[in-house]
Amino acid sequence: MSNFLNVAPTTLLVLAVLILTGIAYVSARSRAMSSAGGDARKLHSLPGYYGYNAAMLTAIPALFVLVIWMLLQPVLIQNAVIEMIPASAVSEGSSVNLVMSDVRRVADGLNGAVKSGALTADAAKALTAADDVRSVLAGTGVALGSDVTAEVLAAAQRYRGMQSTGQVLMTAVVSLIAIAGLLIALRATTKTFRARNMVERFVLSLLIVAASLAILTTVGIVFSMLFETINFFKLHPWQDFFLGSKWAPNFRGDSDLSILPLLWGTLYISIIALLVAVPIGLFAAIYLSEYANSKVRAVAKPLLEILAGIPTIVYGLFALLTVGPFLVNLFGRGEDGILGVDWMSGATSVLTAGLVMGIMLIPFVSSLSDDIINAVPQSLRDGSFGLGATHSETIRQVVLPAALPGIVGAILLAASRAIGETMIVVLGAGAIARISPNPLEAMTTITTRIVSQLTGDTDFASPETLVAFALGLTLFVLTLGLNVLALYIVRKYREQYE
Amino acid sequence: MKDNYIPEVDVTTDKIKISARNVQVYYGENHAIKDVSVEIQDKTVTAFIGPSGCGKSTFLRCINRMNDTIDICRVEGDILIDGEDIYDRNVDPVQLRAKVGMVFQKPNPFPKSIYDNVAYGPRIHGLARNKTELDEIVERALKRAAIWNEVKDRLQAPGTGLSGGQQQRLCIARAIATEPEVLLMDEPCSALDPIATAQVEELIDELRQDYSVVIVTHSMQQAARVSQKTAFFHLGHLVEYGETDKIFTSPEDPRTESYITGRIG
Repeated sequence: MSNFLNVAPTTLLVLAVLILTGIAYVSARSRAMSSAGGDARKLHSLPGYYGYNAAMLTAIPALFVLVIWMLLQPVLIQNAVIEMIPASAVSEGSSVNLVMSDVRRVADGLNGAVKSGALTADAAKALTAADDVRSVLAGTGVALGSDVTAEVLAAAQRYRGMQSTGQVLMTAVVSLIAIAGLLIALRATTKTFRARNMVERFVLSLLIVAASLAILTTVGIVFSMLFETINFFKLHPWQDFFLGSKWAPNFRGDSDLSILPLLWGTLYISIIALLVAVPIGLFAAIYLSEYANSKVRAVAKPLLEILAGIPTIVYGLFALLTVGPFLVNLFGRGEDGILGVDWMSGATSVLTAGLVMGIMLIPFVSSLSDDIINAVPQSLRDGSFGLGATHSETIRQVVLPAALPGIVGAILLAASRAIGETMIVVLGAGAIARISPNPLEAMTTITTRIVSQLTGDTDFASPETLVAFALGLTLFVLTLGLNVLALYIVRKYREQYE
Repeated sequence: MKDNYIPEVDVTTDKIKISARNVQVYYGENHAIKDVSVEIQDKTVTAFIGPSGCGKSTFLRCINRMNDTIDICRVEGDILIDGEDIYDRNVDPVQLRAKVGMVFQKPNPFPKSIYDNVAYGPRIHGLARNKTELDEIVERALKRAAIWNEVKDRLQAPGTGLSGGQQQRLCIARAIATEPEVLLMDEPCSALDPIATAQVEELIDELRQDYSVVIVTHSMQQAARVSQKTAFFHLGHLVEYGETDKIFTSPEDPRTESYITGRIG
């Protein structure tokens, strides 16, 4: 394929479609104008709408087909080529997929060699296993792990052939669709054509696509986790996962993989975090929304919300470098410590992580509660003042009860953030999985174990790795449940007050 | 003009309950009430009428110092209740509001049960020594507000579940449960339908046996029906104040006449 601009042929194709789109806009617009005799008032829609309509019909079906084609073509080619690889070509300890990736690398290497001029197109086709393909490709910068066998080379050649045929076909089909769209749109462009309605319907479908993409992504995430989780439970008994008492992954196999110690650590840290965040956040919200004058509010509210913008890894460092050592000074080090007790040995502990996570959640609780307290109608406050209640009686007995469902919702949302939080616990809580009531001991959480099970050399066929997905899914279900509950409560509250 | 379906009860007293002298109110730069002096009698319904923004609600809110809750509002002059200056440094506005009850334009029951709504004031001010006494206070207030028969079987149901007219009578019950001496009503019927309005008006007429009632209203018929005294406000001035009959039949000031005949408003 000639490549005068030295860009990928697909890019050229997209450019061509876009140029056609431009042409469609201009020509449909002028066609509409001329059909109305140059008087835009006689048109059903503004002239621009005719242009947009034609541009839409030209670009969207063509680009849509292009995207689908590019997604499907590699799969189809791979399926066709994989049949050419005999079982004998697959060596011990390897798999068809590994051979297939060799095939792809050879094919890409040959393409690269042709493109850079190291080989002519004919010479690339004429290569046989006898020629030292490996060194030829090494010359163009493609390193292969082993010599190229005849089967692999043949498959690679087939791969290249199908690729270029596919490219030609795709170019033809996509251009045809674009041109057909352009012609259909131009034919329809008369002064009575309802171009405006067409364009608006298109915008509507664009909005629908955007909304469904967000939802589909969630579904996709759940399913990808679900399949791996199912794989995990095929390899590991569910009784141990849900009911066991020990977390001891062992990469030689025969591990104890129970979620309970991790769940305990997660919930313990979250509860401490909420014990810190809820009172402070709520009191801050009450002060800001009920007592602070507008000047204080204008300064304090953004300052508080800056806390929400700090990356959690920074909180983690704060836990590791400041809070942890301070707590050790307070509760540890025996006679040298502040309290003279020796209850705490290391800086990482449930309390360290919980305190810092609590600080992280303060703006979350305060800003949501502030909004909810502000939403309580002024008429209720007036009613209470009018009966001779003081400001604090009014807040305690009228405003807070009215805002309570919303505040509970805010707390549940904060709880689900606490449960899903990772970086603070990675740095602050330690890495020992155990069920213990002592908040000064190091413990670990679901999220940190997911990280540690998936980092480093992993084998996606062992339960020690796959357990990460089961953990992730459990965590997802947990936080989803909390969020649904929170939304339900918040919504119920809204119905009552509007 | 006058719709006399409520039987007149003789006004037996002309004791002065509230006395305002040269009251000025400012909202920031805006001079909202200009030199108003008025004497409001005890056990009488006094109506404040006037076009929107004339200051009648503002003046009403001065009487129980509700304007204190607005930062930019400033009140000058004296307002005396029973000869005592309510803007005196020694007066606690919170105590004052227990003595001067208020009912608002929109019914605003608290998100609590009907019982707790009425018991709110007595509980705050410690008016009941025990549960039985509190029960009695609640029952008396609900009966006084003519809503007892409708709610006596569901005292624990939320107050927000009542109809608009019932809610407003509940708010009146809530206000009289703290045993005030003066009852201020800021357009208490503007959010109600005609039947609920009639019930509330009837109630207002009964309430004046025990209280001095001040009502702000946009409806001149309502002022004529329920009040014995009427004050006409215009652009922050108190234009005319006198017997309701006289204001509506032979007003002295041309502005009053224009307003009640619908020429200005």
